[in-house]
Amino acid sequence: MRKIIAIAAVAAVGFAASGAAAGPDRAALAKKQSSLSSEYTLAKDSNFYFVFDVLGRKIELRVRGMVLRTWPLQAMRFWGRPDLAGSVALVRKTTLKAPERIVIKPGEEEAAAPAPAAPAVKNAASAAAPATAADFDLEALELRDMPKRFSFDFDNGLHVTIKAKNADERGFAGTLTDAWRWYVDLPLRNLFGSREGKAISELELTFDEEKDAQSIYWHFFDGIKGIIL
Amino acid sequence: MTIKRILIAAAALLWLGFLSVVGAAYFIGLKQAAGWPGDDRDQPIAEKDVAKTEKNVQQLEKRMSGLLPRGPYIVIDTAQNRLFLKNGGQVVREAVVSCGSGVVLEEPGGKKRSWVFDTPRGEFSVKSKITNPYWVKPDWAFIEEGETIPKGMEDRIEAGTLGDYALGFGQGFFIHGTLYTRLLGRNVTHGCVRVGDEDLKAIFKAVPVGAKIYIY
Repeated sequence: MRKIIAIAAVAAVGFAASGAAAGPDRAALAKKQSSLSSEYTLAKDSNFYFVFDVLGRKIELRVRGMVLRTWPLQAMRFWGRPDLAGSVALVRKTTLKAPERIVIKPGEEEAAAPAPAAPAVKNAASAAAPATAADFDLEALELRDMPKRFSFDFDNGLHVTIKAKNADERGFAGTLTDAWRWYVDLPLRNLFGSREGKAISELELTFDEEKDAQSIYWHFFDGIKGIIL
Repeated sequence: MTIKRILIAAAALLWLGFLSVVGAAYFIGLKQAAGWPGDDRDQPIAEKDVAKTEKNVQQLEKRMSGLLPRGPYIVIDTAQNRLFLKNGGQVVREAVVSCGSGVVLEEPGGKKRSWVFDTPRGEFSVKSKITNPYWVKPDWAFIEEGETIPKGMEDRIEAGTLGDYALGFGQGFFIHGTLYTRLLGRNVTHGCVRVGDEDLKAIFKAVPVGAKIYIY
């Protein structure tokens, strides 16, 4: 009799354990179906899209399901509504000083040195001879001209600040402003705003390399669609 | 003296009140943020639907893989000025290139035309493959150099500028060679993609007309 009870108990525990294990598996399956379905909708078109994998801590630029570029996150922090996942579109990118295109008007005074087939090298005569092509300062809009700190607004109300780890050029005042914003302003807005139906979703992503942040600014254009997993 | 004490007490009370509100807001916010990222968005599917969902996932994966380009294709990163010749998931060759400078050229005088020297981004395909290409100089090339735009086609043709090979991908844009090899790796072109001689030769040989080009 004892043996039967023991076997029954073991069977019951096993059954319960398998049920508990099946739960997360089924949830993972549901999540996989949902993310694949969202991605297929985007990948059908020839447009680029991004996938922000929160748990995998990375952002990917993709086309046709193919990963073009991956940016691993160094750090990430968040305030506000946690229901920010799903399909989104970039509404606006904002930065303190947006990069500007160089305008050449041949014949006018400011265009005294119009860009030839190979664009003019700025201050080429006065500067010491650069060691490599990477040292030239060209009349061009390049990755190095992109901001290292900027923000994205998405159509679901999510506001994302993107920055490189060592990119804050605003000094102590900038650090204070950031601290005030993150530790005082956002918690207060989160508390009182949600009561007024103006709940916030604020995300801050930090990247190790300056170039990572800059290339995200370069590759993410207004209207780009994506998925937040 | 009493007024001063009252004022100090009031200020202290206000400050304490402010700190408590901020503290409470911070605590509530932290609790809320602890639920992020929300993993419970997708409810576990019912046991009876597992097989159906697995089949659906397999179908979606198959459809996704069907979207990938077949055969060799080209991927160009305009920010890093890199070209990748790929086949499937494999990088067959990586080349340092030059992409568009992003400069705007405005035509002086009455016409007021303008050009933005960006390399177009998106999905393209190789439309033409040309050996020993000539450059048919467009209007902007003359405007940029402050020259008069010629009327005859023969005055627009320039040999040797585009290298030994060119791959056209539409709207007058080409992947071609360059005389300015020192500037490879920088954004200096008028929208075309300049490649070094050796890389260009390899790419030209590997890629057929119709092969996909992804420029981002």
